[in-house]
Amino acid sequence: MFDKKKFIFNLIVLAFIFTPLRISAKQDVLQEEILIGLIPEQNIFKQMDRYRPLASYLSEKSGVRIRLTILSRYGDIVERFVSRGMDGAFFDSLTGVMAVTKLGVEPVARPVNLDGTSTVRSYIFVRADSRINSVSDMKGKRIVFVDRATATGYLFVIAFLQEKGISDINKYFGEYFFTGSHDSAIYSVLDNRADIGSAQSTIFNMLVSKDPTIRKELHIIAQSEEFPETTLCLRKNISSDIKNRITDILLHMNQDPAGKEVLKKFGALKFIRAEVKDFNPVFNLAKRARVDIRGYKGER
Amino acid sequence: MKKKIILSLFFLFLLFTVGAIMTMFYILRVTSRLDTLITLHQVEILRQDLVINVQTVQSHLYTIGTSFGKEMDIIVENVATLDNAIQKCSGCHHSPELTTKINAIKDLTEQYKEALSTFITTTAGKERVERLQLVGANIGNVILEKTQEMAFIANQKLNERTIAAIKDVTSSRIILIITLLLCFFIALTIAASLTRGITEPVSELLKATRKIKAGELGYTTSYRGKDEFKELLEAFNDMSITLNENNKRIMQHLNRLSGLYRITLSFHAITNVEDIYKEVSYGIAELIDIEQCGVILFDKGEELFAHRFPAFGLQPEQIAHIKIPQDNFIDIYRSSNRRPLILNDNTALFPLGELDKSLNVKNLMLIWIRQKGELLGAIRVANKKSGDFTEEDARILGILANNVSVAFENAKLYENLKKQMVELKETQEQLVQAAKLAAIGELASNIAHEINNPLTSILGYSELVKEETDITNIMRDIEVIEKESLRARDIVQQLLEFSRKRPLEIKEININDILSEVLALVSIPLKDSNINISKSYGDIPLIEGDPNQLKQVFLNIINNAIFAMQGGGTLTAKTRMGRDSVYIEICDTGKGIPKELLQRIFEPFFTTKQEKGTGLGLSISYKIIQSHKGRIDVESEEGRGSKFAVVLPVSVRQPF
Repeated sequence: MFDKKKFIFNLIVLAFIFTPLRISAKQDVLQEEILIGLIPEQNIFKQMDRYRPLASYLSEKSGVRIRLTILSRYGDIVERFVSRGMDGAFFDSLTGVMAVTKLGVEPVARPVNLDGTSTVRSYIFVRADSRINSVSDMKGKRIVFVDRATATGYLFVIAFLQEKGISDINKYFGEYFFTGSHDSAIYSVLDNRADIGSAQSTIFNMLVSKDPTIRKELHIIAQSEEFPETTLCLRKNISSDIKNRITDILLHMNQDPAGKEVLKKFGALKFIRAEVKDFNPVFNLAKRARVDIRGYKGER
Repeated sequence: MKKKIILSLFFLFLLFTVGAIMTMFYILRVTSRLDTLITLHQVEILRQDLVINVQTVQSHLYTIGTSFGKEMDIIVENVATLDNAIQKCSGCHHSPELTTKINAIKDLTEQYKEALSTFITTTAGKERVERLQLVGANIGNVILEKTQEMAFIANQKLNERTIAAIKDVTSSRIILIITLLLCFFIALTIAASLTRGITEPVSELLKATRKIKAGELGYTTSYRGKDEFKELLEAFNDMSITLNENNKRIMQHLNRLSGLYRITLSFHAITNVEDIYKEVSYGIAELIDIEQCGVILFDKGEELFAHRFPAFGLQPEQIAHIKIPQDNFIDIYRSSNRRPLILNDNTALFPLGELDKSLNVKNLMLIWIRQKGELLGAIRVANKKSGDFTEEDARILGILANNVSVAFENAKLYENLKKQMVELKETQEQLVQAAKLAAIGELASNIAHEINNPLTSILGYSELVKEETDITNIMRDIEVIEKESLRARDIVQQLLEFSRKRPLEIKEININDILSEVLALVSIPLKDSNINISKSYGDIPLIEGDPNQLKQVFLNIINNAIFAMQGGGTLTAKTRMGRDSVYIEICDTGKGIPKELLQRIFEPFFTTKQEKGTGLGLSISYKIIQSHKGRIDVESEEGRGSKFAVVLPVSVRQPF
């Protein structure tokens, strides 16, 4: 005859026996740790909030503890990558190109946005009430950039202006400055701390989705071609096992309910495999902006 | 009591429910106060955390870019902690005023984060950066101020709540103690009341039960409650009374049955019908409290039914008038459908009419006496003192009437039996006498010879006297004549004495003497038959018996022995003492008795002597010895002889 009490007692005993083993096993696995850098695409705190669930998910699934570190600015990303012993970073298109070129990092995966694209564009925008409709209207105005080390927040504008015959921004604009993040750049224009701004389309659209009035208040006067979305690149000599595990988890997390939940918080549909050739549009942009990537440091 | 218990329990339940509700209320109130206090303290801790976090972040804000500046990750971590602290604060329930303040701080925190991020990430222009730093620092300071304001408000509330909580705890404690004490004492009172309400009637019941057990039937309790116990005790009282009444009824019935039994038992010993009348009349008077009772029986001679005497409550002269013609009596019997006639009030139906009136009859009952379906008469009872005659009376007297009928039958049978016994006795006596005479007859020639000898001497000496002249010789001859005459007279007297019909006479006798007398009687036939006599008398005590009858027995046995030894032989007569009996053994050496006849020798009229015997000798002897509580043992061997042993007890005690 089935003894329910005995069965429950045995279950409890088994749970007591095996629980410490399981915990210790997990602790053993989590002894592996990698440090992933984040660029300040937006408010650094929001950026950290956005990536934390993803890091937790990857840690849990891979057994490798993923630790995040935020960078205060784009420009020193390559130096900081080395000096802080990072194992990888989510690079934007230009810093990605710089890292690939200078450090030989390997692109692994990049997100597909909610609109189905996995690319970004650079927007040049002004306030709708600024009466700036062309480059000529910009003369003597205040322009805000994100960082010299961004394709969408700086390099495209430089290329655009050069193609319009303006090679010296110091002389053409009344004031220019760098906010360090795309949303700050947008808010600078919105708050009338600058007249012209440039920022990454995904950040721009994200702010618009949160506050649709922004779309009415700001007027996009130019936009770039498509550049690859922020891409996870891992250092070249990282354990292939870890690299494969992380890549595999990222590429298949959209098939996992927990992964889907994380993707939803992250603001993406899925991750797709990334390759060096994805950065070709950026190389072209650098040429158009007459920038040598090898010697370019992106400093302000 | 059931209602009382239910109401009491319900009241107790209500009391405890109220107590429990009050307890719960005060516990909840106190714990709520304490919860609030704890929450307020937690809020204070949160606020302190918030202040510390803001201060930490502020310090970072001032030291970023200096040698004291922290790593970006640490700054981000601290801001995250600050953000969490604010989220915790806003997650709690607050007053609208406080919520507004917290929301304001929350907004300020967002602005602070934005300013910090902008400050950290912004380059280009020292002034701009410093301005951004100042903006951030100002927001931080505002947060600190707001937090301090909240702390002040919170402290005030904390103080108020603490005082209120202490007050509540004290008042709750007092109310709870009072409530519990009140509940306890009320419950105690109810329990005592219920216990008394239950134990008192139970005790009464127990007492009454013990009384009844002790035989005090009909005992009733005096419980005065108004509950179910009252019903129970009333039912108990009813039961006790009923039990008592039933017991009385049973006792009455038993008395009647006992009386009935006594009367009917006496019928077994009664052989006289007058005694039956008396027993019935007076016995019924004992059973039923009546004034008149008697038996009316059919008189064949006069062909009417007449009241018999003795009777209870009636004088002979009164009874003498109670005579009812046969047809009238049978009509009454038939009209009552052969069932007992009970007339309690309808005097017009009294069967004796005027006679009943003269006997002052108030109520009457006739119980029919039947014998083999034929009406024999009736038991007449009149004037029951304690009310009317009942069916129960009729039933009891009906049983008695059946027994009376049997008693009459028995008396009649006994009368017949008595007559037959007298006749039988007479016949037996005649038989014994006949047997005795037969035995004497067998001796007749010997007796005649015995008498003849003295007579011959007398005749001879008489002749001599005629011829004798000498007076001396004459006198001598006369003496011989006298002597021989006396001898002859003795023989005749002996014979007469033996043959005389006399009643049984038990006295102490010497068996040896008896046996010697019988042997003397048969001495001549023994001599004539050339039979030797061998006597061996033992030292035996006197025994109780009838000497005449025993002589008859011995004579019969010796006569048979003489008959068996026609060619001569030896007759042995022997007496000896057994354990408590005397043995008289008479043996012969005659032809013996064949085995097939040995069992029949005591049968009446069985004889082997042909015309010489009556066949009654041994059978009469057997009866005589039986009446002396003795026995006769016979041993015989054909051609060698027989042995008759008469065994007699020393004391007969109850002789025939």
